[in-house]
Amino acid sequence: MPIRIHIPTPLRQHTDGQAVVEVSGTSVQAALDALGQKYPAITQRLFDNGQVRRFINLYVNDEDIRYLDNLATPVKDGDELSIIPAVAGG
Amino acid sequence: MSTDPALERYSRQMRFPGILEEGQRRLLRSRVTLCGCGALGTVLANALVRAGVGFLRIIDRDFIETNNLQRQVLFDERDVADNLPKAEAAARKLAAINSSVHVEPVVTDIDRTNIEELCRDADMILDGTDNFEVRYLINDVAVKHGKPWVYGGCIGSHGQTMTIIPGETPCLRCVFEAAPNPGEAGTCETAGVLGPIVNIIASYQAVEALKILTGRHDKINRDLLYFDVWDNIQRRIKVAPLRGKVDCPCCQRRRFEWLAGEHGTQTTSLCGRNAVQVSHRRPTLLNFEEMARHLEVHGQVSYNRFLLKFHAENCEFTVFPDGRAIIKGTNDVDKARTLYAKYIGH
Repeated sequence: MPIRIHIPTPLRQHTDGQAVVEVSGTSVQAALDALGQKYPAITQRLFDNGQVRRFINLYVNDEDIRYLDNLATPVKDGDELSIIPAVAGG
Repeated sequence: MSTDPALERYSRQMRFPGILEEGQRRLLRSRVTLCGCGALGTVLANALVRAGVGFLRIIDRDFIETNNLQRQVLFDERDVADNLPKAEAAARKLAAINSSVHVEPVVTDIDRTNIEELCRDADMILDGTDNFEVRYLINDVAVKHGKPWVYGGCIGSHGQTMTIIPGETPCLRCVFEAAPNPGEAGTCETAGVLGPIVNIIASYQAVEALKILTGRHDKINRDLLYFDVWDNIQRRIKVAPLRGKVDCPCCQRRRFEWLAGEHGTQTTSLCGRNAVQVSHRRPTLLNFEEMARHLEVHGQVSYNRFLLKFHAENCEFTVFPDGRAIIKGTNDVDKARTLYAKYIGH
């Protein structure tokens, strides 16, 4: 069972409209690299000089990677990786 | 059950074991500042006034337009025809709903010079805004003065909310270190928004307010809640461990950068040109390609390396790569800030 990456609505234009993309990898960084190989345009939307853009948060099974091991946080098959940007409207 | 006739209208709420008469009496003594009275704000104001808060200050800089009526539940066609400011129209509706609540409408643009005064006498602050500039200002004021506040944001079919209790929970900057760059995340004008997601998010915010104002801190939601009502997603993100883990300038180092004017926008009326310039105190680097994609729903967008141009609401927008914009067609700096927040975002 692969890792399931949840793509937020504003970024789905870069994943052919896919809300969930399944990839393989042993860390958050590896999973996102695999996502970028499938959909190259998304990498620039997620990263700025190798750092995750500051208004985008990454959650592994609903835990924030900043209190885990950031991009080195290990992931395994069946894990859910959510990309959640700050939502400004209202 | 109380025989006090003034409490009769709250009888069903007081029957709820979490509130009871004691909680209701606390609510009636409470004071709330609501920042923004659009989609989230009207749902929040409606819920709090019906529930019986003592005092509600409603701050909004905007007027009502027909395209607000799809989701801004306190307004109607007559308000559009009467050209009423949102804060004023809301106060009139709320007076008819519950005349015992003191509602104070304030028609102004919230900024770093007035926000502390507007929040000083409040027990808590509610977020009904549509932009991160005001949210980070609310966050600074709330942390500085130890006042709870509840963040809510919606766009398209998704939204998120979290409750900030200074000294107990992470603050907004712990969770979202920075706002999206202008044009980076879309706005309700460019990406649209569904009425029901607004009601869901604002209703979560309102119930958090009831817990805070009745003193039930044990019941407060400590997670970031995320919903997408179109894609059937509900997530409960654990953010509590972020407190103290991230080196937050606001709640850890108590540097209130937004209040100090180190971030955010400033406006200048361009005399004789019927135009206003909106610029960022900290220049950003815009992605015109991304921005054009968001704005295309409103008509033709043209751009080159140096500037991006589009038209909306009878104004011409010229946007520069550092985030600066000249909005031609108005001399009103508040209107220009509103247009900037609606179409470019910050």
